[in-house]
Order: sequence, then C-alpha cells, then structure tokens
Amino acid sequence: MCNCGKNEYTPVPSKLQDIIKHTAQEWTFRFTYVGDVKPGQFFQISIPKVGECPISVSGIGPDYVDLTLRAVGKVTDYLFENFKAGDSLFLRGPYGNGFDVHEFEGGELIIVVGGTAVSPVRGVVQYLCETESAKDVHMIAGFKDPGEIMFKADLKDWAEKIDLTLTVDGAPEGYEGKVGLVTKYIPDIPIRDISRCKAIVVGPPPMIRFSMIELVKRGLSEDNVWISDSRRMSCGIGKCGHCRINDKYVCIDGPVFKFSEHKTLID
Amino acid sequence: MFTRLKSSTKSSNTDVIRYDYISRIEDAELEERSDYSFKEILIPLSETMFYFTEDEIKEADYDARPVIVLMRSCDIHAVKRLDQMYTGNGPANDWFYERLRDRVKFALIGCGKACPNSFCVDMGSNKTDEYVFSIDMADGKVYCDVRDDELMAAFESAGGTKEDVSPRYVTEAEFRVERPEEVPVELFKDPMWDEYTRRCVNCGRCNFVCPTCTCFTIQDIFYTDNGRVGERRRVNASCMVDGYTDVAGGLVMRKKNGERMRFKVLHKVYDFRKRFGYDMCVGCGRCDTVCPEYISFANCINKLNARVKEVTENV
Amino acid sequence: MNKTSLDTNLKKLKKNAFRVSKVRGETASRVRCPGGEIDVDSLQRVVDIARKYGKGMVNITNRQGFEIPGIDLADVEEVNKALQLIIENRGVNQEEYNGGYPASGTRNVVACPGKQLCPFANFDTKKFAQEIDKAIFPNDHHVKIAFTGCSNDCAHTRLNDFGIIGMSEPQYNKDRCVGCEQCVKYCKKRSVGALKVVNGKIERDANKCVGCALCVNYCPTRAWTRSKEEYFRVVLLGRTGKKNPRMAEDFMRWADHDTVKKVICNVYAYLDEYLDKAAVESKEHIGYIVDRTGFEEFLKYIMKDVTPNPKCEIQGRIYWGGKRYDQGNELRQSMFRFSEREE
Repeated sequence: MCNCGKNEYTPVPSKLQDIIKHTAQEWTFRFTYVGDVKPGQFFQISIPKVGECPISVSGIGPDYVDLTLRAVGKVTDYLFENFKAGDSLFLRGPYGNGFDVHEFEGGELIIVVGGTAVSPVRGVVQYLCETESAKDVHMIAGFKDPGEIMFKADLKDWAEKIDLTLTVDGAPEGYEGKVGLVTKYIPDIPIRDISRCKAIVVGPPPMIRFSMIELVKRGLSEDNVWISDSRRMSCGIGKCGHCRINDKYVCIDGPVFKFSEHKTLID
Repeated sequence: MFTRLKSSTKSSNTDVIRYDYISRIEDAELEERSDYSFKEILIPLSETMFYFTEDEIKEADYDARPVIVLMRSCDIHAVKRLDQMYTGNGPANDWFYERLRDRVKFALIGCGKACPNSFCVDMGSNKTDEYVFSIDMADGKVYCDVRDDELMAAFESAGGTKEDVSPRYVTEAEFRVERPEEVPVELFKDPMWDEYTRRCVNCGRCNFVCPTCTCFTIQDIFYTDNGRVGERRRVNASCMVDGYTDVAGGLVMRKKNGERMRFKVLHKVYDFRKRFGYDMCVGCGRCDTVCPEYISFANCINKLNARVKEVTENV
Repeated sequence: MNKTSLDTNLKKLKKNAFRVSKVRGETASRVRCPGGEIDVDSLQRVVDIARKYGKGMVNITNRQGFEIPGIDLADVEEVNKALQLIIENRGVNQEEYNGGYPASGTRNVVACPGKQLCPFANFDTKKFAQEIDKAIFPNDHHVKIAFTGCSNDCAHTRLNDFGIIGMSEPQYNKDRCVGCEQCVKYCKKRSVGALKVVNGKIERDANKCVGCALCVNYCPTRAWTRSKEEYFRVVLLGRTGKKNPRMAEDFMRWADHDTVKKVICNVYAYLDEYLDKAAVESKEHIGYIVDRTGFEEFLKYIMKDVTPNPKCEIQGRIYWGGKRYDQGNELRQSMFRFSEREE
C-alpha cells in the first residue's frame, strides 16, 4: 500500500443535533463538529449513494456547525426528506478561506446580503456582536417576501446591537416592515469616513452588481469590499476543476474574494 | 507495462491507438502517437473511490502492481502538470491519485519524427531527461539510455552491448505557435471566440484526449437490485461538455461553446501559467487531430496572440 | 448511295445492354458500374465513346451507371469494342471478348459510399456489391439489389428486391464511460432512442437497437466501439411501378455476410421455376411472382442450403403495404380541387 497520508475524500461521520426550519424550502442543519472553522468556509455534506453538496457555514458553536440549505437538488432534497435530529450523517471540510473576522473589528462596516446569503455572514455578525465591535456595523438584509425571511430570531437580536435594515422585495398589503430592493437603502447608510469603511456583499450576482454600483457612488473603494462566491464543485480541494475562474479556484482561493480581485475573474 | 496499442474501432475498421497493458513488446505501437493519452493510468476515465454498504464506507481496491509506462517526451512533461494539479494545488493532496502515481515509472520513447499537428518544440516539451530508460529503434537495433539503477541489471542481463546513447528528439514540430504573455481582460469577451460558438459541437474529445486535462466529476449510485449498497466514483469531466458548470437551481456559467473554448484555451496557455509559472499545454497536438469539426487548438493560440497584439498596440 | 437497312434485332440489342431510343435509328449504351464505382480510365472511356459515337452528353442513371445516348445503331459493334476496357477494369463478368455486356436483366448492384468514405457506414458496401455482382451477373432475370452502410439507407435499398443494410452490434466498455450522455442524446435525436442512463452508465435496449452505431460515432472516449463482426439487415421485395409501388419489408436482422450472399444467389432458381413465361419481355417484379406462389414457396427456395449464423433472426411471414393502383387510384376523402375550395 502507498503512504499517501490522509484521504481527504473520506466522509467523516457527524451526528445531526438539530434541524431549524426557516421556511418550507430553507432549513438549518446543526452538525456535530469540533475543530477550527471560520465563517464563510464551507463543508461538503456527504450522503453515501446519493452524493455530496458544498454548503457554507452559517453558524459556529463549541461542538457544532450550522449548515443552512435550500432544497433545490438531488442531495438537498434527500436531506430534507430523510433525516431528523439524532441521525448520523457525513461531512468533509471545512474548506475554503472564509472571512477574516479581525479585518472588520472596530471600524465601520457595511453588510449587504440577500436571501440564503445571510449564511456566510452570520458568523461574522455574531462574532462582532460578541466582541462588542458591532457599533459601526450597518447591515441591509433583503428577502423576496415576508415568508422568505430567515434567521428571524438572529435578526431580532442583531437589531439591538447593529444598524439593521430588514427589507423585502415585495409584500402583501398591510405588511408593516420595509419594502424595496436592498439597493434602495444603500444611499441612506450613515457613514462617517467612507475611505476607511469596509463592506461585505453577498447574494445573487445581479444583487452584488447593483449594490456595488450604489456603494461605489458613495465613494467606497472596491479594495475594501468582500464578496462570497459559489460554483459547481465536486472535490472542494482544488482538484476537480469545476469551480475554476481564470487562475483562481473558488474552493481554495475563495469562496471569499476581495471585490477588486473578483471583478477581474470572468467565467 | 502500460503502453499504446492499436485497439477497437470507431469508424468501421479504423484503428484507435490508446494505452493498455501489454505482456509482449510486439503488441506495442512505438511509431504513431496514441489517440488517447497515457493519463488513463493515473486518472482513469471512470474510477471507483468508495464502496458503501449499509454501515460501512470502504475505499475501493486498486491494482498496486508496479507499472512502466512508455511515452513520448511531451507526455512526460504532462505528468508534471498532473502532479501539479493533484498534489500541488491547495492544502490537501489527492489520495486516489497518489496511490496510483506511486507505482508508476515512466520510460521515454524517442521521437524520430514530429507527430501530426504537434507544436511541442514551441511549448518546450520536445526534450526530457525524466525517465527510467529510453527506447529508440533504428537500423534494426534498439537503443536504450538506462537511468534507473534497478533496471540496469535487467538490461545488462539481456545481453546488449554498452554504448553511449541519447534518445532522439524533434527540433521542428509540425506547427509553430506564439503565446501571448499577458491577455487583457477585455479579450475574454472578444468576438474572436464567436467563431467557436458556431463551429464547436461541445463533444469534449479535446479534453478527453488531452494528457494535461485533469477535471473530474464525482457520482454516487446505489445498485438497482439492492438500494442499500452502492458506490462513489469519479469520471473524467470536460469543460466543453454540457453540465460542467451547472449548479442545483439551474444556473449555468458558460452556455456558449465559444465561451467554453476561451475557458479551455486560456487555461492551457495562460491561466495555469499565472498560477504555477509555466504553461499547461505541452503541444502534443492530440486535440487538433481528434476534433470532429477540424478546430485547430494550435491555430487558436496563434489567433489569440494576434488579437492580443492588435488590442495592446491600439491602446 | 446505298442506305444501310435498320433491320436490328431489338431483343438482342436490349440484352446487350443498349436501350431503344425514341429517335429511330439511335440507341444508348448502358455502362455497368457495380457498387457505383468507376476508375478514371473507364470514366475517360465513357467520355471518349460519348464524343465519338454519341452526342457529347452522358446520362447518369438512377442505379449508379452511365448511359451514353445518341449512338447510331450501325456503331453498336464498335461501341462494344470500346466498352471492353471498362468491362475489364470494373471486373464485370463477360461471355464474349469485345462483345459488350452479356445481359441487362439483373440490374447494376447499387451501393452507398460505404466505409471507405462515410464515417457512419458499418461495412464496405462497394466491396460487397462487387462481390455479389460477380456471383450473379450475367443473368436476364430482372433483379434489383442495393447495399447501404447503415440504417440511414442513403442507397434507398428499400426500393429494391434485396436491400442489404449494414449493422454493427455496439460494444460497451463501462470503464471508459464518463456518463456524458452524448450517445443517449444522439440515439434519441437521430436514431431510435435505444439507450438510457442507469446509475451514470448506459443501458442499451438490444431489441430496440437498429445497429446503426451512431453511439459509437458520437462517443468521445471510445466507451462504445463497433463489433468486430459485421451484420446485415435484409429487406425484401420493395419496388416502384404502376401497379403496386411499395417499400421492402424486413426479412432478416443480424445476418452475416455468407447468409446474405447465399440468400441473394438462391433467388435465381426460384425465378427459373416460377417466372411467368408469358410475361411481357420476360420481365416481372419478383413480388408479383411471390403473390402467385405464396411466400412459403419463395422462402423454401431462397433458404435452400442456407445455415444462417446463430445470431440471425428471420421473419417467417411478411406483409407488404403500398398503394394498390390496380384496385383504385382515387385520392382519399379529403380530396379537393384548389379552385373549388371553400374560403
């Protein structure tokens, strides 16, 4: 036999501690995991005989990670239908660079997120809240409609510590919250020193594009913006090639990129 | 010994030359370039990774017997690219690749003539000294430069005469190519790629025959007669073929074949170099020869280079 | 000046492969090219004959031969001498040196380009056509045979008495299959849809598969390859004509070369026995004879001394379709005249 060391492809058993259902389509699975992990990194959820799918870390606890996913494919559908708290599953990871939370301590920070993209930044916000460096955080979180709002309890908590704008693209009559795309609220963010302000923008590509237009209008430097990207992946460890864009591999060089770098990557 | 041999047919009675194990040297094809490359020994077209039973995950067995692969200089250069991707990109190495790689040694077939559509000289892959022995046949004799001490004994016992020999190599390939040093971002969306949207049929042959293409897709299956048992395997993937970028939910990154061509060509002669310092393509010319639509990769590099010059000179 | 008499034996002329022209005193020479193949020397000779004895024009026939019109009946002997080179170069059997073609009943054996040229062809159609021509020619019986490389049937074999369609049994190596599904896609779009994906690999419905080997052509990794054995579908007794034009129907599939050859050669004994002696110009489509004798009797003759290969499947009873003009030629109920149609 060869001395090839650890087989990174081997799925590692993990007990499912809890399932938190946000909407019918979006649930958070709390997996047992002890080890280093950063917000913005991802795991491969691995279901033997069914497949694997890369899911970004939406929460980090002492003996668990939260992985929030939408039922939109073979593996996620299978997960939604076949598992309950207490069951044993498999994980590989964590993979990718993740956010360096220290980067955002103390200074002014704008966060613009849409839909399930709350997941990768949830850990960042939690960290900043816990370390009392949240006072200059301005977050705009957008969802399609009131029924799609995720992490409601978190949003409620955060609203007391950061400047949170929660908005929905559309809502039925009588809805009392804010309505409109996230871009609508960017001009109103109170910023003291835009030259030193940083931003995290995560969401569907068009959302990122239009948000960037608004942020640049405010005078924000593209070097100070971080985004999180996603691509099709098989391996998660820079081998299978699916997630490559130019000379970068989303799975190992990302999924978190500086916007100024990411905009030069063309699929 | 794993080497090129003539094999099964596509068009009626047309031989294909591809690699397989041989037990007699007479079965080896030492003249013509193989249509499919040696890489199948290191990254099989289809490779089982794990077997799953109800409560067990088991790494699939593999053939651990030592292997000598006979190949040309360009292909030996390609091994470096495979190693780079599987053991030199990112923090983790590829366990399945390593275990296959460990048992393989490479022997060089000297090149008496340039292969069809080759451009190895301009890619710098026409010469190598990374081999355990070389083999050249000329004037009814076999010349071998033996570099591996373990094998030297075997060669000596075979009763040859000792001479100073060095393997043949070509100094002029069929094509000349000029690669651009830098490719401006605006060329990614250049109309030059539209030609390939019209011509390419995205069959992926260029990728499957390429000795440096490494992409794969992981598939899980359960056996139909018994849903409790199954396997995880990986199969070679092609960035030209539909499905390569598809994600759950329906997003596709490169729909047009011209975009896929750009993605592939720039990887081979630009993006890989930006990351690792040298170009991925070794200029073997297989992709040109295999293309059912007569698309020339070599010519595409030259067209790209010309476009880069046009664009940068007009700034 | 004495005018030469036109006292010509037309029966003999026609048997000698000359056509009776509507222009009195003229004829046309028909050049036989088995498998639709001609070498440049022979082609040059066709040109020379047309220039010297004809009118400088050549017709290309529906059955892949040439026809040189405008030849004076008085020049037939000279033309026959000139044809000698072509007959020899094309390997056509002859009875009398410099005597031209010895028969015209059994028509030129037609073939599509086949595997010498076409990537889709499953066998060498021209070679097989020429081999059959050697075996059956000359013969006065009116028999039409065509060979085609795959089930596309570019040679229109289904309008012949014997249509031979090349088949290959696709061989699948699952270890070379990457599951790109191009074979499935092309089989569905361009053939019969005999392939499906099961667990990332391909399953072939062997009964549905027509052996076209399209999967082989479109497979980028050679997971699909052609079988070493060449197989044939044999279709029977198609025809055009005034009475009952119809497509040939399937008789055999997965037949091998020897089976096909024997079956074709056997038809002549049947015709010797059952051809209507009173038939106009001793010529009738075989199908009408089969109508009289019954298919069983026909089968008995063509299968005489034939031991088909084990894989060969044979149709025991065949029904043909086509329009029966002798039973009525009106259009269907929906017929209308354009000038009378209601707005």
